[in-house]
Amino acid sequence: MRRRAAILAGFLVLPLAGAASAQVAVHILSPSSEQPVFGPLDVKVGVQAREPIDRVEVFVNGKLVGASKIPPYRIRVDVGDDNIRREFRAVAYGRSGATGADTLVTNPVQIMDELDLKLRALFVTVTRDGERALDLDQGSFQIFDNGAPQEIVTFGRDELPLTAVLLLDTSESMREKDLEAVRLGAKAFLDGMKQTDEAMVALFSDRLLRLTPFTSDKQALASTLSGVKSAGGTAVNDFLYLSLKALEARQGQRVVVLFSDGSDVHSVLPASDVLWKARAGQALIYWIQLGGKHRSFTSAWRDYAANDREFEELQQGVQESGGRILPIENVGELESAFRNILQELRQQYALGYYPNNSKGDGKWHKIDVRVKGAGRVRTREGYADY
Amino acid sequence: MRARTERNCLREPLLWLAAAVWLSTGQLAWAQTPGSPGPAAEGSSSLGLKAGENIPPQRIQELYRRILKDWSAGETDRAPDELIELETAVVVEGDVGTRKTLLKAEQAVIHQAGAADIEVLVPIAVLHHEAYRRLLDRGWRGHATVMGHTRTMARDLAILYREQSGSEGAALVSSRLLTSLAGMQLQAAQQLPAAELFEEAVELDGRNTAALLGLAVIYEKNAQTESAVKYLRRVLETDAGNPEGKLRLALNLKRLKQLEESRKLLEELTAASDPSWVTPLAYQELARLDSDQEKVAEAEKVLRRALERFPDDARLTIQLAAVLDRKGAGREATLLIEKILSSPSSREASSARYLYNAVRPEAFAEARTFLAENSRSRLAVLAQALSAQVEVTVTEVGR
Repeated sequence: MRRRAAILAGFLVLPLAGAASAQVAVHILSPSSEQPVFGPLDVKVGVQAREPIDRVEVFVNGKLVGASKIPPYRIRVDVGDDNIRREFRAVAYGRSGATGADTLVTNPVQIMDELDLKLRALFVTVTRDGERALDLDQGSFQIFDNGAPQEIVTFGRDELPLTAVLLLDTSESMREKDLEAVRLGAKAFLDGMKQTDEAMVALFSDRLLRLTPFTSDKQALASTLSGVKSAGGTAVNDFLYLSLKALEARQGQRVVVLFSDGSDVHSVLPASDVLWKARAGQALIYWIQLGGKHRSFTSAWRDYAANDREFEELQQGVQESGGRILPIENVGELESAFRNILQELRQQYALGYYPNNSKGDGKWHKIDVRVKGAGRVRTREGYADY
Repeated sequence: MRARTERNCLREPLLWLAAAVWLSTGQLAWAQTPGSPGPAAEGSSSLGLKAGENIPPQRIQELYRRILKDWSAGETDRAPDELIELETAVVVEGDVGTRKTLLKAEQAVIHQAGAADIEVLVPIAVLHHEAYRRLLDRGWRGHATVMGHTRTMARDLAILYREQSGSEGAALVSSRLLTSLAGMQLQAAQQLPAAELFEEAVELDGRNTAALLGLAVIYEKNAQTESAVKYLRRVLETDAGNPEGKLRLALNLKRLKQLEESRKLLEELTAASDPSWVTPLAYQELARLDSDQEKVAEAEKVLRRALERFPDDARLTIQLAAVLDRKGAGREATLLIEKILSSPSSREASSARYLYNAVRPEAFAEARTFLAENSRSRLAVLAQALSAQVEVTVTEVGR
């Protein structure tokens, strides 16, 4: 339903007429007209002009919802939960007063489309004799949801774009050389990303020290890792929950790569909240666990037993998400751990199915993925059916 | 002659000091690490000494006296550095004998000065206290003996002063000095020696809230909840409105499943019109109490009220998002998270939860101000005593 043809016609005619608006070409890059939209989303607008642009405004169904003065023009809007047709209009204003606009319409969810909202995506690692098996086809897999066999409706490997949060502990116990190892490790991960992949880098202690938005700009992501000074305590639960929540609105293969010793001291959220979020969401959690075995500790916030429970629940959240824990003894092993995770993500099979026993009652559904022939399968252990 | 008479009167207590200092050398064992001879102070080397230099006892006394004079003359920047320089030059790590030499020399000077007026012990103790603070700040590894020595000097002089003076005022001064020293010990993660100092401070002044709170924190951090509660109740008996005392008591009572009293304290804190650093924590913990009891709507109300007062508090925002998420209001939760992700201020804010588990220098600020004032007011007495001491020395030499 785009009105691109009309806009294009305008481009052809207006220069001849010498009108100012012909100097500014506008194109809504995202969202796409092919998919229904809900809730918060980024409207990305491309602008080409022979003069400096003053601002870009975005309207949804005629109402101004946001503006940006700085390219790349990316405007966060909340379009609400109503299942309705929406018209997005972006208008760019040049310094001379020239303007340009683009319009895009998204349609409401049709009955068949509603099924997409219930699609469960599973990312499955299969190993044989210690090596990842990469030669399987759709027919090699069987999915059981609470014991009930399911029909696999989507299948692929290394096709979905990756959206990652690199959640890196830079609390005061990290020395300068540790931080440098973190930088190199995370950079190895970022360097391996494809053009369609996106990441957010979050450096945390008991607070967020640095943060990027989701972007595929590797340079911008890597620059966040330079010149970092460690500070503060550790609040893994709070920022892991925040990362999982941030991934909810994203598409594709979603993953949090956490680097921390996991000794959470300062979070306000208990690990049970992270576990709940891991169960309810679709993101994978990988935890590069510094220091290997957990050492019991006490703090003004929790005693030994409570801290032990927190640690166990955090581990449980990671495992149930379908990700895994990579224990490392020292930061020298970080780079290979990051590379290993990225390679594993690339080599996972993506299976999709519509649960035929979903009730949306929040109850736990156990997932069992079987592969024909020999092979070890690792994937999400289940999900909370919301 | 007067000086000599007074010195005679003080012979016994000063012997006690010697005994106390000698005894406390045993306490140093925890802090001693084998190391190479320490270098002289990194600051200004106004004494021109080298580490491990063989300085005769008489010369040590002269230098120590000179440092005390500088201190009494108001050279508050230079004198503590000079003391560090002297002590690190004389004491060789791992060589107990060098520490004894230093101790005897310093004792001799204090003995003479104290004979003139017992009040001189206060500024001398504060000088050692300041030297210890600087050593800690500089993070001098391999100087455990010197650090232990100067800390012990400060402690023993404070106790001696209280013993000799016997006054209520002396007890307050000594208690504050011990509290401040304990605070520094806590900062250096030395919980056991800190607890001992806090206990001594509380013995001297049972209404010393900083010391009572310090003790409670140590017990709390070591999961000795009943003991923590005992000291926190004493804090509130002395200072009923103490917000930190109230919060800690509330959390420790929660651990003991005394939820009603815990809730009451948290509600008092959130109702206070004048917020302190613990107020956002009180809201967080009140909401946690509700969440733990499956009172999701109550938790939400508490957090919304909190965010009206502290709209930029990232921790409260995350907590409300999690509560809403559980309740099924995922979209509003997402918007709250978006707010954190797009707000630079929420990233830079220092975390009150971190402060709760750390040593806040502010907790001992009152004690340090009190000490500084008391030391300053006695500098003239120290200057006088040191002048009198020269006369005595000259007289003795003349004989």
